[in-house]
Amino acid sequence: MIGLLADVVGRVSDQATTSTTTIPVPCSISSGGAKITSVCSDTNSLHISVAYRSILPVLVLVIGALALLAISAVLPKRSRPGLYALLTVAIGGLALIASVWQWSDIGNINAHVPAGAQAALNYRLAHQLTIGQQVFYDRFSVLFMALVSVATILGAMTTDSYLRREGLDGVEAYVLMLMAGTGAMLMAASAGLIMLFLGLEIMSISLYVMAAYHRRRTQSGEAGLKYFVLGAFSSAIFLYGVALVYGATGSTQFLEMANFLGANSLSHNGILLAGMALLIVGLGFKVAAVPFHFWTPDVYQGSPTPFAGYMAAVAKAAGFAGLLRVLDMGLSTQQANWRPAIWLMAVLTLLVGSVMAIAQRDLKRMLAYSSISQAGYVLVGLQAASSTGTAGALFYLFTYTFIIMGTFAIISIIQGRGEARNDLGAVRGLAKRRPLLAAVLLVFLLAQAGVPFTTGFLAKFYVIQAAVQSGQYVLAIIAMLSAAIAAFFYLRVALLMYGTEGEAVAGAPGVSGGAGVSGGAGAGDGSILAGLQPIPSLDGATATATLLDPPAVDEKVRLPVAVALGICAAFTIAAGLSSPMIDFARHATTLFNLK
Amino acid sequence: MTVPGAWYLVLAAVLFGLGATGLLIRRNVLVMFMCVELMLNAVNLTFVTFARLLDDVGGQVSVLFVLVVAAAEVVVGLAIIVAMFRRRAAATADDIHVLRG
Amino acid sequence: MDDAPFRPWLAVAVGGGSNITYVEQYLPILLLMVVVGAFAGGSVAGSRLLGPKRPTGAKEGPYESGIAPRYGPAARFPVRFYLVAMIFIIFDIEVVFLYPWAVMYRQLGVFGLSEMAAFAVVVFIAFAYMVSNGALDWGPHQKRGVPATDQLTRSTTSTVRRVPRPHELLLGVGPISMEDYPEPEEPAAQPAPSP
Repeated sequence: MIGLLADVVGRVSDQATTSTTTIPVPCSISSGGAKITSVCSDTNSLHISVAYRSILPVLVLVIGALALLAISAVLPKRSRPGLYALLTVAIGGLALIASVWQWSDIGNINAHVPAGAQAALNYRLAHQLTIGQQVFYDRFSVLFMALVSVATILGAMTTDSYLRREGLDGVEAYVLMLMAGTGAMLMAASAGLIMLFLGLEIMSISLYVMAAYHRRRTQSGEAGLKYFVLGAFSSAIFLYGVALVYGATGSTQFLEMANFLGANSLSHNGILLAGMALLIVGLGFKVAAVPFHFWTPDVYQGSPTPFAGYMAAVAKAAGFAGLLRVLDMGLSTQQANWRPAIWLMAVLTLLVGSVMAIAQRDLKRMLAYSSISQAGYVLVGLQAASSTGTAGALFYLFTYTFIIMGTFAIISIIQGRGEARNDLGAVRGLAKRRPLLAAVLLVFLLAQAGVPFTTGFLAKFYVIQAAVQSGQYVLAIIAMLSAAIAAFFYLRVALLMYGTEGEAVAGAPGVSGGAGVSGGAGAGDGSILAGLQPIPSLDGATATATLLDPPAVDEKVRLPVAVALGICAAFTIAAGLSSPMIDFARHATTLFNLK
Repeated sequence: MTVPGAWYLVLAAVLFGLGATGLLIRRNVLVMFMCVELMLNAVNLTFVTFARLLDDVGGQVSVLFVLVVAAAEVVVGLAIIVAMFRRRAAATADDIHVLRG
Repeated sequence: MDDAPFRPWLAVAVGGGSNITYVEQYLPILLLMVVVGAFAGGSVAGSRLLGPKRPTGAKEGPYESGIAPRYGPAARFPVRFYLVAMIFIIFDIEVVFLYPWAVMYRQLGVFGLSEMAAFAVVVFIAFAYMVSNGALDWGPHQKRGVPATDQLTRSTTSTVRRVPRPHELLLGVGPISMEDYPEPEEPAAQPAPSP
């Protein structure tokens, strides 16, 4: 629309000087978004063809959100429970079908590429750079649209029971989730910095409200407020980076930027470097890379649990999509400048995320730091600046969606009403109470730790392989080291679940005495958990007491959540054994190499 | 005498710095939010200046979008602030301390 | 500058060569500033000097949109003021997007019209949702909005103080809470239904 508006405004100012004595040719803009081909005057109108197929999943989500709003305006309140969740799942499913169709449609486009570099380039520009040159129609975008659709389906399934348990049921949560998904899809499909900014803001604003959604918990309001302030700050920084890069290169579009930088070398590139740095900082906030990660633990801890899972999956994916587009496509000629910065960010993120997670006793904070360290692996893939690195990063993000949404879904089950039990002790003895749930959580934990036969292992393997292939041996070693450190706290949770001490104290109902409990702790803890004792705490008795109390909460697992968990676990194992996903991810990056 | 474009860029950078510093220093949440708006307007000035220097109207169109997004962010942000601070007389960031860190 | 007025007593030229700026063409602006300042200052001074002085309690107190401030500025306020302001801003933004289209609507033809109609429909559906939830209800009654299940003791009837009538002011009656004048409300919603 920006190209459209700009061209139209520019042309109209010239129309007074041109004569219209010739046969008026209708001025038109081709579907590829090229410039206006002839004069537009009062007597003839603009023919603009908009390739709606490139944003089909986005349209599905937006129209779905509007339909939900309209339905809720008409129905009485507290009508059939679960209706909105069902509709959201249907909308997400439609979006997924649309993105699958898009994938095959792009296959058709790829099959008809004419020979010759220039002809191929023109053909691709005409068919794949759509909507006034603002949206890319390539498999990279489609993969992210599929990711967001899947996350929306899973999110709607897990949010339903959570909202009903907390008494927050309503249409708003689902509409916000759909709008956040819309923003994420647009971010991934963007062909220019302004489109990226618009998608970023749509997604972020919806997520701010989702973080503050639980009205009765102060933590939720605080999380929303912190997320909002820091998110607005980072958006402003990102936008200043956009302005500076625009000033340095003359355009906000990635392709034009890359062409300009490839054709000219700037003698004073201070503005470009400053803009690049600010872009990295702004997007680094979104993906919670380390110098900019301070909001993540508080926001994940305070937000309603299924929304924290959605944030961890979708916001991170969209942020990385933005980073990949900006750095790999727009500023690919400046690799020598941004690769060291990303290298440093990756190292810090991997180490800080893993190390800080060890000291956490709140499950959601621990998962927040663990998701920070997972973002480090994706940064490793980004740093490789090759198509294998990008493929590895995409694969990591896609599989991580399933894992993290499943984990947060399980936490939302075991935490009880009002999010009463979020600490590590809540999982204690879970294997005895709910064996199937514990098994599923075990799968997710092992996948995050990178144990073979899960997608987590393959994902780490691919990114580290990409790093090694591009010669970043130190980074690969640090990544593997961080995986080893991270395995500690994942396996700690697993051991707490399956530990045999659970049944020894389960018999003591309503344990509240500190002394008796810590005495039991000393006697009951065998060699398995002895290594876990030195958890620093202000009050030793309380710490062990919280670790030992079996939670007395309702852990009923409702059907939609069970289905969602089943899907996540099945994907995690199945795609870990033999994965066509990596081929999809490799296909999704081919457009990068053409420019 | 025409004002060189660089002066506008410097002014915008100074405004951006003031806004960023104010955001980090001030405690009143509303003032912090005003600093965010200051930063966004500094960015608008940068866009318009570059549009003038590069003789490209795309910068001005970007300003249109940025203004609209800033306004939408204002609406949502104030809603969150109102929801949090309805019962208090003053909105200070020191009050949000339940989540440490 | 060919049409600079011939005022030799103000012939001040700044710069030289081709960049001459005749300062006297800015004279009207200076005059306007002086007039504006004089008018504003004169109005305030005039009303202070010429108006009658009969201050009452009601006149000297701060004005708060009709709600009588008995105990200082209220820490909490009816949120509907904020909602109205928010809805205004949203529609203002919609109008901002209508301006470029309005400039070029003829050339954009049916396509432009349909796209702008779709945009207006999107905003309208959000507006319909808000109205159906009672965001724009003005007055002590809440028609459609059902309070949350743990509303505790707060409701609009407890936070809004009815404006005291003059005879109540004379009698020195305190703030009249709407709880003293209960209005028929909709029955409270059921707590979250158990599956």
